[in-house]
Amino acid sequence: MQINPNNRRRADAAGARAWLLPAALAFLIGAGEALAHEVSSARADFVPPEPGSYKLERIQALPDGAVVDTSNRRARLAKYTQGRITLLSLMYTSCSDPSGCPMALYTLQKVRRDLEQEKSTGSRVRIVSLSFDPAYDKPDVMRAYGAAETSKRSSVPWDFLTARSPQDLRPVLDGLGQDVRVPADRSEAEKPANLTHMLKVFLIDRNGWVREIYTSSFLVPQVIVNDVQTLLLEDGVKLR
Amino acid sequence: MSTHEIRTSLLYRIARFAVSVGLCILFAGAATALADETCNSPYLASLIKGQEDYAYVWTLGVSGVGDGWDKLVTIDVNPASPRYGKVLNSISVGARGEAHHMGFSDDRRFLWAGGLDDSKIYVFDIGADAGNPRLVKTIGDLPERTGFVGPHTFYALPGRVLVGNLSNSKDHGGVTGMALYNNRGDLIRSYPMPSTNGGDGYGYDIAINPQKNVMLTSSFTGWNNYMRNLGELVGDAEAMKHFGNTVVLWDLKTMSPRKVLSVPGSPLEIRWSLKPGDNWAVVATALTSKIWLIKQDASGEWQAKDVATIGDPSKIPLPVDISIAADGKGLWVNTFMDGKTRYFDMTNPERPTQTYEKATGKQVNMVSQSWDGKRVYIASSLLANWDKAGESDEQFLRGFNWDGKALTQTFEVDFYKEQLGRAHHIKLGSKALKAAYADQPEQQASR
Repeated sequence: MQINPNNRRRADAAGARAWLLPAALAFLIGAGEALAHEVSSARADFVPPEPGSYKLERIQALPDGAVVDTSNRRARLAKYTQGRITLLSLMYTSCSDPSGCPMALYTLQKVRRDLEQEKSTGSRVRIVSLSFDPAYDKPDVMRAYGAAETSKRSSVPWDFLTARSPQDLRPVLDGLGQDVRVPADRSEAEKPANLTHMLKVFLIDRNGWVREIYTSSFLVPQVIVNDVQTLLLEDGVKLR
Repeated sequence: MSTHEIRTSLLYRIARFAVSVGLCILFAGAATALADETCNSPYLASLIKGQEDYAYVWTLGVSGVGDGWDKLVTIDVNPASPRYGKVLNSISVGARGEAHHMGFSDDRRFLWAGGLDDSKIYVFDIGADAGNPRLVKTIGDLPERTGFVGPHTFYALPGRVLVGNLSNSKDHGGVTGMALYNNRGDLIRSYPMPSTNGGDGYGYDIAINPQKNVMLTSSFTGWNNYMRNLGELVGDAEAMKHFGNTVVLWDLKTMSPRKVLSVPGSPLEIRWSLKPGDNWAVVATALTSKIWLIKQDASGEWQAKDVATIGDPSKIPLPVDISIAADGKGLWVNTFMDGKTRYFDMTNPERPTQTYEKATGKQVNMVSQSWDGKRVYIASSLLANWDKAGESDEQFLRGFNWDGKALTQTFEVDFYKEQLGRAHHIKLGSKALKAAYADQPEQQASR
């Protein structure tokens, strides 16, 4: 997926950052709800197979890395991916491509609502959004971005994470094969960067294995819900 | 009689035999192509929709030519570059194992390449510096781990590479399967090709339509045939029976076969139309010289239908590689024996019509086009033991411009003159993008 550079706000000087951040925060508060009117999930011209009628392979172990939450508390990523089935979305807040991060946000909102409907499902699942643009997505930016979700009472917790440096993130990005690219002629002073990436959401089982990877062509809420339920069935959970 | 005359005589006998049995069952269709920008997996990141900078050519080593090893050759294909049409570098893998096809990982950071004879899989890093690939991993245990031989198609799935194979380690026949690896090169599991309900168990290409949750696979032949001298093979009527005649339609999500479609004559490359809303694919059959259309009928059932003839089947043009235009309205078809590159108007996929042809070499196999369709690349080699001999054994990568009316050659790299070998599969590269946060991907251990 190519991100149109023209769609991305640029701030090429430190001075610009001073006014850009509050503006961005104002924009981002409740971003999810607003974006829901502009984006949609991937189109699926098929009926997803029933939960448990197929097997999700163990693709790879989830790599670990150092992350920070919206209060700037440092932790290992594994803290947010153990004990529950996890949907991990790698994203950045200023992505405005409708088929990019906004699509992931919209889709996960829908998935969350669906999972909440069933008690046996919702209490065993969590969602994590992790930014790969730590230079711009500071904890306060992530807090504002996720406010609409974190303020809701839900059986499906949703954590918004970032990192203190690209180096902290690198083991996660490299380990998961999450490409994040910048134009070769990008100025290092240019923040936020124009990032090109492939949208990826990872389904991780309770033991830290990546069991499915969704890109924009397969980011279908019902497919994701069925996959989560397939893992729950594997764990012996009885679905209603 | 010169070598060339011998080969010409052989071809005449082949043609005569084909006519005599009323079939074009001779030669098997060559293992060919998966080459161009429009043929990549839908899961691939960063398609090159502007000017490509590099052509990577997976090249078969030839004894006495250079170091004799299989190698990845990087060629400058940007007309604005002072080194346009020149070899930038080559990486020998220290083996001669019938180099054949390649495929990108979904993040376009790694290029996987296989050997049909030794079954080795090589992983090149092209993400750190697209102009200077590095060999970072060799997978040498495919037969031991899966029972499959001849890794042919490398098809990107999210975080994974699905490898379509041609043969097996038990009898080296055509019954085979697919092997699923993660992007780090760890085997996840394998899938046998269906051999019941009409399935012949053979494998070749892979093509996915995510919106339909459908994967198609085609069928070629086993090691016993593709490694055999062509002259001997075509004279062996029993051996000539062992070619695939099916396309299998799979449920992608569950990775289970849903339907076996009868497509006689060794269906090879499969291409889905990339035009949004189109849900049809085409495949060319090597032995019967046909284009087949695969789409749903009015009731939603998937069907395969013979919709066009390529050249004169009685002359055995041997269609090998195809390349579909990004808008789904045109299809390039290379025919190995007559060295022709043909263009079919696909405006109506039910009735493809040839509108142009040009002899682009004495033997041609792979055809790759840029996303905008303005540039077309042609490579020469089919298989080491199937390529022509003598003066007809040209080995090259040629670049052409396409203005909608004619192909005009813009450069040529002579792979024999450059001491490289036989030019086979082509993939395109760009230096326009670089990975963030990843200056140098970590070296991965070989095994």
